[in-house]
Amino acid sequence: MELNINGQVAHFDAEPDMPLLWVLRDVLNMTGTKFGCGVAACGACTVRVDGEPTRSCVMPVSAVLGKRIQTIEGLGTVDKPHVLQAAWIAEQVPQCGYCQSGMLMAAAALLEKKPKPSDADIDAAMSNICRCGTHQRVRAAIHRAAGTAA
Amino acid sequence: MKRRTVLLSALGAVGGLGALVVGWGVLPARSRLGSPDLMLPTAGDVALNGWIKIAADGSVVLAMPRSEMGQGVHTALAMLVAEELDLPLQRVRLEQAGADTIYGNVAMLVGSLPFHPLESEGGDKPTKVRVGEWMVGKIARELGIIVTGGSSSVADAWDPVRTAAATARASLLGAAAAQWKLPVQELRVVEGLVSHPSGVSAHYGALAAAAAGTAPGTFTLKDRKDWKLIGKKAPRSDIPAKTNGSAQFGLDVRLPGMLYAQVRQCPMLGGAVASLDAKAALAMAGVEKLVALDAMGGSTAGFAVVGKTTWHARQAALAVEVKWQQRAQGALDSQQIENQLLAALDGTSGDTFFEKGSVSQAQADAKRVIEATYRAPYLAHATMEPMNCTAQVKDGKVEIWVPTQVPEMARAIAAKVAGVPANQVTLHVTLLGGGFGRRLDVDFVAQAVRVAMECQGKPVQLGWSREEDTTHDFYRPLHVAKLRATVDAQGGISSLSIQSAGDAISPRWLERGLPALAGPMDMPDKTTAEGLFDLPYGFANQHMAHVATRMGVPVGFWRSVGHSHNAFFSESFIDELAFETQQDPVAFRTALLKDAPRYLAVLQLAADKAQWGKPLPAGRARGVALHESFGSIVAEMAEVSLLGGKPRVHRVVCAVDCGTVVNPDTVAQQMESAVIFGLTAALYGKIDIKDGVVQQTSFPNYPMVMLAEAPVVETWIVPSTRSPGGVGEPGVPPLAPAVANALFVLTKKRARQLPLVV
Repeated sequence: MELNINGQVAHFDAEPDMPLLWVLRDVLNMTGTKFGCGVAACGACTVRVDGEPTRSCVMPVSAVLGKRIQTIEGLGTVDKPHVLQAAWIAEQVPQCGYCQSGMLMAAAALLEKKPKPSDADIDAAMSNICRCGTHQRVRAAIHRAAGTAA
Repeated sequence: MKRRTVLLSALGAVGGLGALVVGWGVLPARSRLGSPDLMLPTAGDVALNGWIKIAADGSVVLAMPRSEMGQGVHTALAMLVAEELDLPLQRVRLEQAGADTIYGNVAMLVGSLPFHPLESEGGDKPTKVRVGEWMVGKIARELGIIVTGGSSSVADAWDPVRTAAATARASLLGAAAAQWKLPVQELRVVEGLVSHPSGVSAHYGALAAAAAGTAPGTFTLKDRKDWKLIGKKAPRSDIPAKTNGSAQFGLDVRLPGMLYAQVRQCPMLGGAVASLDAKAALAMAGVEKLVALDAMGGSTAGFAVVGKTTWHARQAALAVEVKWQQRAQGALDSQQIENQLLAALDGTSGDTFFEKGSVSQAQADAKRVIEATYRAPYLAHATMEPMNCTAQVKDGKVEIWVPTQVPEMARAIAAKVAGVPANQVTLHVTLLGGGFGRRLDVDFVAQAVRVAMECQGKPVQLGWSREEDTTHDFYRPLHVAKLRATVDAQGGISSLSIQSAGDAISPRWLERGLPALAGPMDMPDKTTAEGLFDLPYGFANQHMAHVATRMGVPVGFWRSVGHSHNAFFSESFIDELAFETQQDPVAFRTALLKDAPRYLAVLQLAADKAQWGKPLPAGRARGVALHESFGSIVAEMAEVSLLGGKPRVHRVVCAVDCGTVVNPDTVAQQMESAVIFGLTAALYGKIDIKDGVVQQTSFPNYPMVMLAEAPVVETWIVPSTRSPGGVGEPGVPPLAPAVANALFVLTKKRARQLPLVV
């Protein structure tokens, strides 16, 4: 099998019904994408598939063959962070940090669709669970990245 | 059960015995500076004590015994070091501390003493407080239990870590003075560069070798007016890696040849496997084996399936056909337990934690009695990263990689399970994807080691599904309380008495994690009564007692522990008393806080910032709650409306006195965090147990507050020069009562149970 991940082709062996999450984490050792619930409820496993935010824990790998997959590892680099990553640091968003990869991928998808999101847009798009309560800083960082900060 | 009064008898016995036998009681408390050989020897670095190592480039390495779970402790402790050594914060690096007792958490044990906080308000603490703290502090230094919990990390590090850094600085300056033959008082340090006005200079790296042989001499900690870092907002060192996927949590450990194991435990808590058929499961592709798991470290028995990925192991674990059996004592049932606890509130039983004046006299003279019964359910921790541990057992040695709040307890149980001495266990603490007290237990460590023993020396990552995590937690115990106040002839509140009932936590935790310290009988456990016996209000007559039970449900420390439910009971009832006596809730509290100026200042700050008393738009109401926990006082004012019949919290103003603040942005983060954590519990949190089975399994039926429901949180800090108090937990307790008290204004109906039912 091969997948286009972060602009590069990855070759691997996996059963077609294996969820994308476990291909990333346990086959390709790309551990930035997290396991939280396995039932698409928490969003910790969010990646982008052809730009769309996708909960990879319930997405069979066979369903994303030939599509563009972007994970947190491909969002930005240390030297050239994505505008959201810079905003996340400026607002000091993460606490434990475990849900933040998924948060960032969902936020990246939002900004691509709505470069100037309203609070209502953010409410609707950000359905990820964070147990540490980074909620208001996530909102602030998205506004900062979008230039819509109050 | 007859009433008994909580005494420090056991501590007295331990200390007295020690003094008699070896004169231990009169020896000075064990130093926590530590010798340089406690630090990991690394080429080019010079250790100056058990905490501080100087690198060749002049940067500094700090031995870090506390776990980072989002509370910012790695940054806060590094700030203390950078401050005393006059270094930029980025030049302090961290290294996992070893097992020595100098790294043990003394502040947490001292904080577990059941003293009323007002007794320590003034300049001079009463003798019993001083003796108790001295004794427990001394015992804690001997035990040296390394633990991240009880909101105690900064309070505990405050003296030893700053002292270690200041000692190192004194030796470095002493070495420079000797080398340059100049008076040490004429040297100065700017950003790690030691210099003299004559022009000579050297960075710490160049002085380290000589400093190692230089006695520090006399030194003082920096005066707070000279602080450059402490008290100023500093960016957290762990955050950049948490924005790009490179932060390493327990589940991110990857080792060559590593296998993956998934656990299934008996759904009936305390039950076991009656029989199982794994033929089909073991025939599945990518599956290695099944390992039976006994009950270990408080866990429920079950099995693990090992496979080449988490997914293979999980699919196969689910395919195992298994018959479970109920525990021998019969099935647990949370409704039954609640009924039993309510029946235990007979008004006479339990341990007395606080008594003042005569409640019985006040009751005899009362014109009116106000009484209410409150309830709070079992709760799961629901850390975002489910329980996991990676282990390798090879050639009589064990290596584990684990997100834990208690590394030495993890080491001890790993050694016990593998049957090797503790010094044959190598331990790596990863970042924690949430802790909240769940990772004070090490059941999953025992399981990982047990599985690794069957894997021929290969490393294995043992993980729990979300469902296992939710249904096999150590739950915040179900508690109930009856609160009773009397109104005198003048219409004032003449007495307050509280009786509560619920499981004790500390003795159960000691039994499963530190069995050597668990006594033959349960001592009264402060965690059950905290938040009820330690109220600041000046009622003339008070009596607070707790009936400690042992219902059999695995119970554990849940962020803010007893305070988490007891503050809901006490601060809701205080609000009831205000309304029953036709007084404004803030004015009512203010009048009762004449002898508690710190509390009053916090309440006033919250009232000012929330503009208490200023009319709100129609349909909105404010509620207030004030609570002390872990050495810090927090007032919260919640602004609430009803949306489709459900509470909607719009804004929460937090005022906090947590003593000296190290990183104010961390304080704000933790208040924001505590509000969401507390709100989730207030609106949704409930674990039900039926036929021994936990009914909630995952986020769809154990929901969390989402971003769209999140209130705006404001944090205001009361300036203080006291020693640091806790920050991670104290914001949780006041949230539920603040919301409940606002709801009462809206509905005129008192919600006396959690989660809040409108």
